[in-house]
Amino acid sequence: MTITTNLAPKYREREFSRRPATSRLEAALTLAAGAGISIYGLLRRDWFGAAFAGVGAYLAYAGAAELRKPYQGRVRVGFTIAKEPREVYEFVRDPRNWDIGLRGVKFEHDAQHGLSLRFDDGEQYVLSSQLEITDEKPGEHIAWASSGQMMEHRGVIRFKKAPGDRGTELSIAFEYKSPAGPLSRTLASFAGFDPEQLAREALRKMKQLMEAGEIPTTKGQPVGSRGVKGAAKRVVFRERPAVDLQSRLAGD
Amino acid sequence: MKALCWQGKNKLDVERVNDPVILNPRDGIVRITRTAICGSDLHLYDGYIPTMEPGDILGHEFMGEVVETGPAVSRIKKGDRVVIPFTIACGQCYFCKHGLWSSCDNTNPNAWMMEKMYGYSGSGLFGYSHMMGGYAGGQAQFARVPFIDVGALKIEGSLSDEQVLFLSDIFPTGFMAAENCDIKPGHVIAIWGCGPVGQFAIRSAFMLGAERVIAIDRFHERLKMARASGAEIINYAEVDDVIEELKWMTSGRGPDACIDAVGLEAHGTGISAAYDYSKQRMKLAFDRPIVLRQAIQACRKGGTVSLPGVYGGMLDKIPFGAAFGKGLILKMGQTHMHNYTERLLKRVQEGEIDPSFVITHRFTLDDAPAAYRLFRDKQDECIKVVLDPWQEARAA
Repeated sequence: MTITTNLAPKYREREFSRRPATSRLEAALTLAAGAGISIYGLLRRDWFGAAFAGVGAYLAYAGAAELRKPYQGRVRVGFTIAKEPREVYEFVRDPRNWDIGLRGVKFEHDAQHGLSLRFDDGEQYVLSSQLEITDEKPGEHIAWASSGQMMEHRGVIRFKKAPGDRGTELSIAFEYKSPAGPLSRTLASFAGFDPEQLAREALRKMKQLMEAGEIPTTKGQPVGSRGVKGAAKRVVFRERPAVDLQSRLAGD
Repeated sequence: MKALCWQGKNKLDVERVNDPVILNPRDGIVRITRTAICGSDLHLYDGYIPTMEPGDILGHEFMGEVVETGPAVSRIKKGDRVVIPFTIACGQCYFCKHGLWSSCDNTNPNAWMMEKMYGYSGSGLFGYSHMMGGYAGGQAQFARVPFIDVGALKIEGSLSDEQVLFLSDIFPTGFMAAENCDIKPGHVIAIWGCGPVGQFAIRSAFMLGAERVIAIDRFHERLKMARASGAEIINYAEVDDVIEELKWMTSGRGPDACIDAVGLEAHGTGISAAYDYSKQRMKLAFDRPIVLRQAIQACRKGGTVSLPGVYGGMLDKIPFGAAFGKGLILKMGQTHMHNYTERLLKRVQEGEIDPSFVITHRFTLDDAPAAYRLFRDKQDECIKVVLDPWQEARAA
């Protein structure tokens, strides 16, 4: 996927779209191991050798490709919301609506710190120094880029009038790079932090909140005994209560 | 409160659980006065629907009195007597505004599950697996009803609970099945399955102007009820070939439309049925599409096959060439309940139909596990079971 935006990131000195995805060391090791295995395979001069050479060639290719890849993660998600683009833009632009897809955190905005994340245990994590809006046209798009501390990312949110009076096509496309490469990404998705799924659910919830006025839920409804299997699943899937959004909705 | 909980295949328990509370501003709480067991609940009972969890409260046909409403509810008031449609709709999205209520975008909290299986998610349903929303159902003493303003059908006047209860699912479902057939004067409609939905489909087909209705089943009591509604009948267990029989009864034309009111747990005879049974037993398939095959094969050229029966997964050996070759129209899906509730209530009020004709058994909630078994095994000529959640268990 290519992010079809000409909105240039501001961090010129860090041109991170050109930087490799995994560390150069990782990619170089893969390349070296691939080369070594293929040479060994070729020297054997038998069928096993051919197989080794094949595997080695693949590793060498993967290493070389990794060195050239700008980003390892790319996400694009789109939803159609039955509201005017301007209205959707204003909703998305409001930091108070940004924690809809997240659990246990809230966004806060104040003059001193700019934008920060507030965790349930009271810890605050200031984001504003790391996140910058690189381009913005109200009612049309917002492009952002991060300077890489933990996880680098950049992308664009677009607001487009949907055909046939269906409201707004809200889409988000972003690229990201996580610290330890594919390994941390896989672990994160197991822990329920797959960036694509998070983006999809956040957008879905914005749509639900804008259209229906509430986010559908079953958390807190009565349930019978879940039995041994159910209790085990609750532990494995780490079921947690939903973020309490309802106090804010009550006035709607 | 007392509620009927799913605990696994063929295992139901009546348990004491917490009373439901308002969770969202557009919710309402209903004190249930009557609830029913639906044929589609049997698919859950028999373990054919994925993403059920032990402890889930069953039931999607219920009515009662509103005891509490959320801050954003305006049309429905405390004390209203209401019938609750089994599909949950927000009333604001593209689909709700275009009459496709059961495709609502905003009512399934587990939409991602259904997106993985079906591409896109439909609306949330009461008591019908987590994939369909995971909402606690109505075979209980109370239920929380999301978006109660949009769905609930207010009942005023002297109609009894049993006369209006089936506006929650089976009457609109049977009616939509008949409406999907695009019935014109002179049409002959064949209906597979004379369970409750089939019975309403028969009555609805006549209401919509069908000339003849041919009902197909194997249970005498069900065929008797179908005949009482004015249908001609075929007992498939007693004829050689249903399709030949239909051809004979329509003098070579075939029925103008076929309704499959059976769905994924069809019974049948012959090799095709044996094949489906063994595949399902080996967990290679969720569905036994015996009736669907027959309906496609039997339908006249350019006719309609309408499917109120529930299907879940990948269907095998469907004569798609026949459907294409005859230019058939296939219509299906969860009922767009909200299109029908008001219209059909009017027909009930005007005395055109008394939906309570399908009821054969009445039980208390404590008897529900036994009632499921009785209904599933068609013992005691059982066709439709209604439960009273407040009556104490009968002394056994």
